[in-house]
Amino acid sequence: MVIERILIFLLALVGFSAIVGAKNIIKKVFGLNLLNSAIVLLYILEGSRIGEQAPILGEGVTNIVDPVPQALMLTAIVIGVCVTALALALAVRLYKATGSLEIDTISARLHSEQ
Amino acid sequence: MSSESLFLSPVYLPLLSAAGILFIKSFCPTSIKRIAEYLGILIGLVLPLLLVLRLYPIVQNQGYIETTIGGYAQHIGIIYRFDGMSLLLILLAAAITLPAWIFSRNEGPGHSYFTALLLIQNASIAAIGMAADLFNLFVCLELMGVTAYVLIATGKKANAAYASFSYLMLSSSAMVFFLLGTFGLYNLTGSLRYEAIAMGLETLSGRNQYVAHFSLLLIIVPVLLRVAVMPLSLWLVDAHSKAPHAVSALLSGVLLKVPLFALIRIFSLSPFASSLALPISYAGAVTALVGVLLALSQSDAKQLLAYHSISQIGYIVSAWGLALHAGVTTMTGSLLLSASFFHAFSHAQFKALLFLTIGKTTDAAGNRNVYTFRGANQALRNVGERVPLTMLCFLVGALSISALPPFNGFYSKTLVTYTLKGSLHYTFLTLASVGTVASFIKLSRIFLPSKQPMVLPAVKEKNRFPVSSHLAFILLALSCLAVGLFSEQMILFITRLISSEEAQTYGSSFFFTQDNLIKTTLTVLSGIVLFALAVSRPGKYVLHLLEKRRGGFTDLFLGFATALGALALFAW
Amino acid sequence: MKRTWFIFKVIFILLVVTLAMLPVILSSHPWPVASRDYLYENALSDTGAVNTVSSIYLGYRAMDTLGETLVLLVSITGTMGILINLGRESEEEEAVSFSLAPEKRATNAQRTHLLEVVASKLGPVVLLFGFYVMLYGHISPGGGFQGGVIVASAIVFLALGTETQSKLTNTTVLGRIETLSFLVLIIVATSGVFFERGFFGNPIKSGSSLSVNFIILLNIIIGLKVGTSIAVMCIAMMGGRHGH
Repeated sequence: MVIERILIFLLALVGFSAIVGAKNIIKKVFGLNLLNSAIVLLYILEGSRIGEQAPILGEGVTNIVDPVPQALMLTAIVIGVCVTALALALAVRLYKATGSLEIDTISARLHSEQ
Repeated sequence: MSSESLFLSPVYLPLLSAAGILFIKSFCPTSIKRIAEYLGILIGLVLPLLLVLRLYPIVQNQGYIETTIGGYAQHIGIIYRFDGMSLLLILLAAAITLPAWIFSRNEGPGHSYFTALLLIQNASIAAIGMAADLFNLFVCLELMGVTAYVLIATGKKANAAYASFSYLMLSSSAMVFFLLGTFGLYNLTGSLRYEAIAMGLETLSGRNQYVAHFSLLLIIVPVLLRVAVMPLSLWLVDAHSKAPHAVSALLSGVLLKVPLFALIRIFSLSPFASSLALPISYAGAVTALVGVLLALSQSDAKQLLAYHSISQIGYIVSAWGLALHAGVTTMTGSLLLSASFFHAFSHAQFKALLFLTIGKTTDAAGNRNVYTFRGANQALRNVGERVPLTMLCFLVGALSISALPPFNGFYSKTLVTYTLKGSLHYTFLTLASVGTVASFIKLSRIFLPSKQPMVLPAVKEKNRFPVSSHLAFILLALSCLAVGLFSEQMILFITRLISSEEAQTYGSSFFFTQDNLIKTTLTVLSGIVLFALAVSRPGKYVLHLLEKRRGGFTDLFLGFATALGALALFAW
Repeated sequence: MKRTWFIFKVIFILLVVTLAMLPVILSSHPWPVASRDYLYENALSDTGAVNTVSSIYLGYRAMDTLGETLVLLVSITGTMGILINLGRESEEEEAVSFSLAPEKRATNAQRTHLLEVVASKLGPVVLLFGFYVMLYGHISPGGGFQGGVIVASAIVFLALGTETQSKLTNTTVLGRIETLSFLVLIIVATSGVFFERGFFGNPIKSGSSLSVNFIILLNIIIGLKVGTSIAVMCIAMMGGRHGH
């Protein structure tokens, strides 16, 4: 019970520390994905605590899991993917403009241009 | 049409016209494309506003109209609730989007994708104003955010991409925390509907109450991030100053305020949340002062305006926070909230005007540095302007933001400071308005005639000054003036929408008292003194030191963590 | 000095975030069962879909789905805009090369024999599977989004694997399908307004055996929309033909 949540928390923390601490902007985007996935896992895991079967009604299906978090996470995953795509496109743009993927170098080169 | 279909029209009509524009763009020739865009703006932006205004009497009598999307059972479907604030937000969005769009036709990025994006953004704003469902609010906020990132990234320089990237990383990771907060509340109450959450939170006890508090905190801070209250405002300057001008006008006019007023519903979920309103309002007051100091120190014209957005948001947030602290339904609370919205509305108008005029002027001269740029009128004449309308409109904006009668800024700022009288906020805000005057004297100097002969960028052919830009300027300038002249009616309109009780009228006898006039005169005088200090040698040195302080990428998150930690400490 | 300051900042941020997140993650409150029970009883009769997840995300909470489709649309528009602008700029200014040089693109130099064989054989099968997932979303795991993503990957396979240019990998055609399905989606969503069912209301009478058709229709439209738009984006990122 608790150990799973702690693992999810660690996953989220790894993701967040990549966003904050990593120098490479691609790694930052990966961090955002990790953070997002951790929360998605948390929803799905906790939502499945109250049942056993997949939420597809049919013969003999009685004890279904909560379908609400699954449906919510469907939306959240897609939004995460969209943001990732946009972030990666911006990363390409930054790389073409400055020739670097390191956030500090990018920011320094852009400001010296001004 | 039923009233349910009517009040959802600001959501589906813009979407319909956006879809139509995209469809026609990919299937039809260019000539129809332009007609489709004009038609789309008409159907998607103007028509829903007219339809919604028809609901004004119903909102005033009943307070709100409610519907479940798709007609499903209430506790499982998504509820949209249309109240006075929703109407005001739709009005605000349309009032700024229209001139910004007109401006963008000639000054860029005026392609049909841009029009479609604006329409989608307006739909998301209407949805944010109406959603009474936590997860739907998340989706709509993300939609608004994504449109903002894309709009910022349409800037031509790579700087815009950097600004968009940092805003995207910060805001999206904050929204993940919003998702976690939603998880906590759903786990505790089993519902995503505001009313059910509020009822569920009342019955909690012991440790679960802590969980509820932290969940609320995780929801509130990411939304405040979009509003850019002080420790959370570091992303704003880059994003607003690097975006195309029409987008800057929209960002600071509309996108800053919508999440703030949407938060009111979240704050009413539990008494704990409304206890957070007081520290936020103090943060707002500090923001107003610090923002204006930083604005005074800027040398880049658009960055100066961006810092002013932070400062003015401080005004709005401090009145807003005190309103929630007093309770929105109480007499003082509703007055404070009306004042806060009135200032938000006027700020949207004059800041959009300032961004557009300054943007046009600096583009014409190819220079954005307020210390070296002089003779702006010459530069404008060089690109074909015959009558100095740009300067006149800029002056209207500058006088409005400096709170001089008869423009809207005077009325809204006076109302805000009046409602805050006697509190610590009052001192902060008064000091901030001195700084505003000083920094706008500094900015207006670009219109002084240049002493040295100017080096102007060569113009390929004798082109005419675009009519659409002038139209946008005049539209905004006139609305600044109109809101000022008809302030009594405007305030009545807002207060009636916000509270159902019989509203007091604030006529000219309220605004033009001796005290107010003396205060305005003193503010202007001390603003001039402050400006003189700022251009003196030691003043320049101090301001230069302030200007050099710019945060890196990690500092954005430092601001986020500080805000989260401070509010958590306060809660604890 | 700068380095220690940076590490100190990161540690502070992580510490605060940890403290804010832990209480919510570790909450021991039992998961609520009310909505699950309600859905178990009523989802089938309300929307006609056997798959409860489908009935939520295209029925009860269809507004979220609309929002997410819009997010997808906006972000793909933005991504394409950024990438296409880059393509235009690189001719003028000296930029760092990111994707393959244009002269190499036409011959698809990145393609190896292995990739070609696998991708071109896999493409049609995956395409079929994608449509299956899309069409059967209301009775089995899946739905418009999942099916759409599978369709998109099939199109990417085809773009990678086949030498000939087919209509399926032409971004202009894909873009047209995308805008058409988006328009149809919005019209379908608004249609309820004119049938007195409200926005996103099912215009087909609920309870009848036909009412599930609304969800099937939405699944197909969303699948087409998602599939084509993701495919367009992937092809653009691969440095393919720009049709937008």
